[in-house]
Amino acid sequence: MRTISKKLNNEEVEAFGKEVEALREEMMAKVGKEDAYHIRFIYKTYRYTEILGRGLIHFSFEPISFVAGSLLLATSKILNNMELGHNVLHGQYDWMNDPRFNSRTFEWDIVSDAHQWKFYHNYMHHTFTNVLNKDHDYGYNFTRLTEGQKWKPTHLTQPFTNLFLAMNFQWGVGAHGYRVEYMEIPKKQRKKKTLKDYKAVFFKKIELQLVKDYLFFPLLAGLNFPKIILGNLIANLIRNLWTYAVIFCGHFTENAESFSVDDIVGETKAQWYLRQLKGSSNLDGSNFFYTMTGHLSHQIEHHMFPGMPAKRYREVAPRLKEICAKYGQHYNTGSFVKQFASVWKRIIAYSFPDSIAGKLMGTKKKYLEPKVVLSQPSFQISLPGEEKSASLT
Amino acid sequence: MKTFPFIYNEPREFLKSLQPKEWADFLLGEINPRFSTTAIKAKVVAVREETADTKTIVLKPNWLWKGFRSGQHVPVTVEIAGRRVTRFYSLSSHPKDKHLSITVKRQKGGLVSNFINQNIKKGDLLELGEASGEFVLPKMIPSKLLFLAGGSGITPIHSILKQLQSSKYDGKATLLYFVRSYEDVILRSSLEEIAKTTGWLNIRYIFSDVPKEGYDSGFLTKEILKKYTDDLKSYSVYVCGPAPMQTKALSLLEGNEVKSELFLLPGQTSLKVKKSGTVDVFLSLSHKTIQVKGERSLLEELEDQGIYPQSGCRMGICHTCVCKKAVGSVTDLSNGEVSELGEENIQICVSRAESNLELEL
Ligand code: FES
Repeated sequence: MRTISKKLNNEEVEAFGKEVEALREEMMAKVGKEDAYHIRFIYKTYRYTEILGRGLIHFSFEPISFVAGSLLLATSKILNNMELGHNVLHGQYDWMNDPRFNSRTFEWDIVSDAHQWKFYHNYMHHTFTNVLNKDHDYGYNFTRLTEGQKWKPTHLTQPFTNLFLAMNFQWGVGAHGYRVEYMEIPKKQRKKKTLKDYKAVFFKKIELQLVKDYLFFPLLAGLNFPKIILGNLIANLIRNLWTYAVIFCGHFTENAESFSVDDIVGETKAQWYLRQLKGSSNLDGSNFFYTMTGHLSHQIEHHMFPGMPAKRYREVAPRLKEICAKYGQHYNTGSFVKQFASVWKRIIAYSFPDSIAGKLMGTKKKYLEPKVVLSQPSFQISLPGEEKSASLT
Repeated sequence: MKTFPFIYNEPREFLKSLQPKEWADFLLGEINPRFSTTAIKAKVVAVREETADTKTIVLKPNWLWKGFRSGQHVPVTVEIAGRRVTRFYSLSSHPKDKHLSITVKRQKGGLVSNFINQNIKKGDLLELGEASGEFVLPKMIPSKLLFLAGGSGITPIHSILKQLQSSKYDGKATLLYFVRSYEDVILRSSLEEIAKTTGWLNIRYIFSDVPKEGYDSGFLTKEILKKYTDDLKSYSVYVCGPAPMQTKALSLLEGNEVKSELFLLPGQTSLKVKKSGTVDVFLSLSHKTIQVKGERSLLEELEDQGIYPQSGCRMGICHTCVCKKAVGSVTDLSNGEVSELGEENIQICVSRAESNLELEL
């Protein structure tokens, strides 16, 4: 993959990593009351929007209150999935020691089982961000986004399959998840738990979700049940489209880079930081927008510091940006519209073979010039599990 | 495939997934923060200063509180800087009192005891667990009782004395209360009131730091025991106080019936960082105890011994390896911080054992 960041030598990479790590430590030391207050506020909002949303759907007699109810329910689901669920499941609030916000016990309003999700997201995706064949979130198995993926005629359909995925995003996420878990366990252990076992977990969660939204609540409304089903469908659809948009902007914008398994052999923590930076992209917006994305608007910060309470990313971002500028590293950010457009440019471009894709994508800008040239002594953070990453297939 | 196999087979689990308890708790909590269906939440109705560094917190718990017996303790959870922290405190009130109370003395470096003394005020909310503990009177109350209290160890004994008072005890009881100085005597007026109104209680303060005329000074010795008891062997003894005093008492009272209660206070335990040799790790779900060196991360050391807890990134980012530590202290390798001794969730890939541990694995 071409890069528009300056190529750093080893010492520079380590110095960069050291600054990033110092920033992380400084921020983590501040974590406390405010963060607890924030997540409790989100929790409250999520509960109230659900009560109000479902209430309005049930008791609406005209379209306006029905639409308002569906929108509120969608908001509730978005908050539950993103600012609350995604961040809690990352363990960002484990330190609070509150079972409501604990990554071991939290379960969310989405068809993907929380435990499975933690495996393929927290572990696979966050450890191997944008590493082809290792990060299964990269294109979710059927979207080609780089020359590194071999072109097949079926890729011609990817603009359409992506539209479909966007509308059913939670299903896509859940369905690719159990396979990932199966594929990633060592071959020997596969006998103990078959693909079917993993699938059963997923199917159970699907069932719970479907029954809740499309049977339980509609039944409460008696003969009015079609209205409730429709309201839930709308809410789930909005949530799906929204999460799709936010998540695709996180790693698949034009200048987000991908890596090969060889790139990460023997990777140090500093190199890992750098890869997270290059593989992620941010969205600019208002504080409300940030909250509604679960702070995945700050995908770069999130990928560097997945365990940090998400609201802190707002504080981290400008500082991290400075560090990146200092080292001549591209800090990929832009408005939602701009970033989402560039995602779709990529989806469309790479649906064609390389010769056409290359032309559509155009040539990249030159390296950014770093503000300082560094020559600092190197230091080594050894990454636990080095042997592991080396033997990846 | 059956239609809805899970809901059909596990209706309970399905109901649970609708989170009725969470909803109930949320809504009740919105009505009144003390209300709950799952947690014993207690409102602070009064705070009384006992001594310069000790306060009694009077609590009104919600309907989930099941009561207690004199001498028992209760887990108290407070929120400090957004984090819930739990410690055990003896109940100093009598079970029949209108409200319950705990009496908390500030401990040097004690997170919770200092927080309670400094910050808890009328109207605050604490969370309690169920009362427990064997430091209670038997059904047949012995006719001769000896209480040895040290410092804040007086609190469960105070509760027991109140029980004796209300049950019209007609035996003989002696309280030897070891405390730094006269000013440090906790619950003094209440103790003396019991002694005055009943007549069976003999209270002796013994000052370890600041002697006072007319009182004994020093620590627990054979002589002091002899001085205030006639035939020592005939007493049932209750001991509550710091570890050194307990050890001493147990050695002096061989042959007696002794009940003791020990709270580990920070800085007072032998659980502090122990760099030489190995530490024991008890894995409570698999009922195994293993020894680790405490040199590398717990995850690595467990794996060396053929135990493979869930793990992922192995660098502290994915939280796959989070596990509940019930007892003991670990160092967080990512920032070098040594943890509390109590229950908390830890990431074992970035935690190193500092003391004997109990892990939920
Ligand atoms: S294994 Fe990922 S946090 Fe411990």
